[in-house]
Amino acid sequence: MKDSDRKQYLARAVDDYVKGRMNRRRFLGVAAQLGLGAAALGSGIARPFLGSPAWAASDDDLMPSAENLAWVKEVSAPFRGTTLKLATESTPPSNVLNGSLKKFFEEASGMKVEIEILPLEQVLQKLTLDVASQLGTYDLYYVDQSWAASISRDVFDPREQIDAKPDLAMPGYDISDFLPALVDGICRYEDRMVGVPYDIPIFIMMYRKDIYEQMGFQAPATMEEWLTQSEAITSEMGPKLYGAAGQMKSGHYSLECEWTSILWGNGGSIFDKDGKFSGNDEAGLAAMAYYDRLHKTMPPGATSWTWDGQGQAIAQGVAATMLSWGEFFPYFDDPASTKISGLMEAVRCPKPASLRTPGECGFGEIPGVGHQGGSSLAVSRNSKNPDAAWIFMQWATSADTQALITTLGGGTGPTRNSVYDDPRVIANRRVGAGTTRHLDVVRETIASDMGSEPDLPAWAQISSDTIPVNLGRYFAGEIASAKECMDQIAKETDRLAAM
Amino acid sequence: MRQSTPMELRMGAAREGRLSLPGLPRMLTSEHPLPWLLPLTAMLLVFTVYPLIYNIWLSFHEYVPFKRALVPVGTDNWARLLADERFWGAMGTTFLYFFVVLGIELVLGIALAMLLDSDAPGYGLLRSLLTLTLVIPPAITGMMFLLMEDAQFGVLTWALQGIGLLSPDTPILATPSTALAGVMLADIWQWTPFMVLIVLAGLRSLPPEPYEAAMLDGAGPWMIFRKITLPLLSKVLAVAILIRGIDLFRVFDYMFVMTSGGPGTSTYTLSLYAWQQTFSFIQWGYGATLSLVTLALILILANLFIWISKVRW
Repeated sequence: MKDSDRKQYLARAVDDYVKGRMNRRRFLGVAAQLGLGAAALGSGIARPFLGSPAWAASDDDLMPSAENLAWVKEVSAPFRGTTLKLATESTPPSNVLNGSLKKFFEEASGMKVEIEILPLEQVLQKLTLDVASQLGTYDLYYVDQSWAASISRDVFDPREQIDAKPDLAMPGYDISDFLPALVDGICRYEDRMVGVPYDIPIFIMMYRKDIYEQMGFQAPATMEEWLTQSEAITSEMGPKLYGAAGQMKSGHYSLECEWTSILWGNGGSIFDKDGKFSGNDEAGLAAMAYYDRLHKTMPPGATSWTWDGQGQAIAQGVAATMLSWGEFFPYFDDPASTKISGLMEAVRCPKPASLRTPGECGFGEIPGVGHQGGSSLAVSRNSKNPDAAWIFMQWATSADTQALITTLGGGTGPTRNSVYDDPRVIANRRVGAGTTRHLDVVRETIASDMGSEPDLPAWAQISSDTIPVNLGRYFAGEIASAKECMDQIAKETDRLAAM
Repeated sequence: MRQSTPMELRMGAAREGRLSLPGLPRMLTSEHPLPWLLPLTAMLLVFTVYPLIYNIWLSFHEYVPFKRALVPVGTDNWARLLADERFWGAMGTTFLYFFVVLGIELVLGIALAMLLDSDAPGYGLLRSLLTLTLVIPPAITGMMFLLMEDAQFGVLTWALQGIGLLSPDTPILATPSTALAGVMLADIWQWTPFMVLIVLAGLRSLPPEPYEAAMLDGAGPWMIFRKITLPLLSKVLAVAILIRGIDLFRVFDYMFVMTSGGPGTSTYTLSLYAWQQTFSFIQWGYGATLSLVTLALILILANLFIWISKVRW
């Protein structure tokens, strides 16, 4: 943050405090964020504010909308005492709902909400068992995009729910406010909506501004530019600092995510329009040549890292750039956790060398460098309390709740258009933990650069095993050439896709 | 003829099932085996026999997502097993892991136990400290070694590079030739103390006479170890090998946390592969088939070992 911006922000905060628009606790928080010592404010508090977003949870302006809670109270009357269950991955929306927000819903509705936070694979197990047994153990399903095709018939289409039960429709819920690209990319299968977009981790370009200035570079605008810049940084500053950090752990989904982004950015696609694997065509092999070169600019550990290791490499100042999940950005700004607070910048993904159209691809694949890993939230058709679950789902994915999730959840990307312009979200655009200063880039990426994986029942296996295992073998030297690796993936993928 | 006391009369009646002991339900005084066997039999039926039979049934079926049902597939899963390269690779890795880790843990366990077999001050504390690794969940141990073996930040990597055993461009867990060894290290660190404890218990119960006689005959330490200690410990060692061997054959946690089976497929074990098929790919039938093969192999190897080593329970 520039010094002038900092002063302006402080002046506004002082003004708000003096005029009673901001309470003392919040004011102290803002002041501490701006780097003022508590002693300077005469408060006598010695411990500096570390920027944890949790502090905001008790703030008056970060309470759920009273209007929405009144609606919850009104429509939930017949369902008092009901218990709703949701199994979900540990993502910011679920964590914030579980940790801070669901108590407001429970209080207003008289219902109990049990949210099981689990690793993604366990969520899939529980969801599959629930679907197979039709026991309705879970009322709401957290649906990763790769499961949308398999699960589409087991959940309600929210549009149907609105039409069928107008008396249970939340005023101003507005399904068209969900970013259209997300609806298409995450939760549409054929003509059905598989719930509504719930979270949206998406690849954006993040780079070290100080290193780029030192090297005389501009932010990478194209894929080729990113590669040559990374090569130059590694050559100039390695092995202390490398040009790029990767998520290349063999057999892990993260490797597939990085590969697809590079594949799409080099004009390739996973499937052709006939539904055959096309990573082994000319563009696919060009992408592998690109990936090989990029790999050489990364720290040696990149082949053992998932996105966690990749993020750590940036946070510890070992690498200068990464094309990865935007959710890392607020963490990089946290001075308590990283060495690089305030040094990272977020920009849109580098422009691809060429880009295939969705019409040239199969199974609903949408090429785009901004690989998205979003999920949707949907009411299970097996639920014993579908109406009660629908009330919770509307409240949990309403614009007001999403704004709170984004603010309290450390700058996670909203799935609704209006939330990006919410004053509470905009107020967090400053350097520090939980920043939202990258969210404009996230919104632009969703609108213009987003890439979505194909929808087919076998995709879970293809994306988390077939592709990352064979790529892992290639990068470990077990497969001699990129062509051989891609041909092997083609053989296995086409067999699975045909099953 | 001596007259029976009241107590003897009651005991006799209880033996014949005619009378309860005061304060105890009749069933608990019965000498008939049935009431005593029932709880155990019920548990075995519910937790062992039924799952086993269900697993066998499942191996002839497969879950079809679009039908939302298990459908019969005959012997397809078993035929697939034979043609599945990943299965054979996982089997090879499991056996390699089993023999190498068991061998190292056994040798280290015996050596450390002999070093710790002393009543000198401080040794008790050392023996207690040794058990600490056993209370750490294997997944946590996996995480610790994952960090320690990280190519960029790992202390173990740094140390190995420092003494020239590892080149800077060789990430331990991402290189096929070193990944399995990296995982083995975690297992050995955690479970060698288990071997030490068992061997130590055996050592402490050995009679002193053979040692005294051997020393009088002029036998050296190596001779004593080979000709007396090892033979006397053989039963204890057999039990230790059996318990650890079964555990090693089912190893899952370390691979899951540290390598996900990679790089490529170089650290896939049977358990990891069965778990992946069952829970990640929702191929319950094939997963059950893989589990049954693992179970069969453990049963065969364990019984073979019991027979060879003449362990009697």
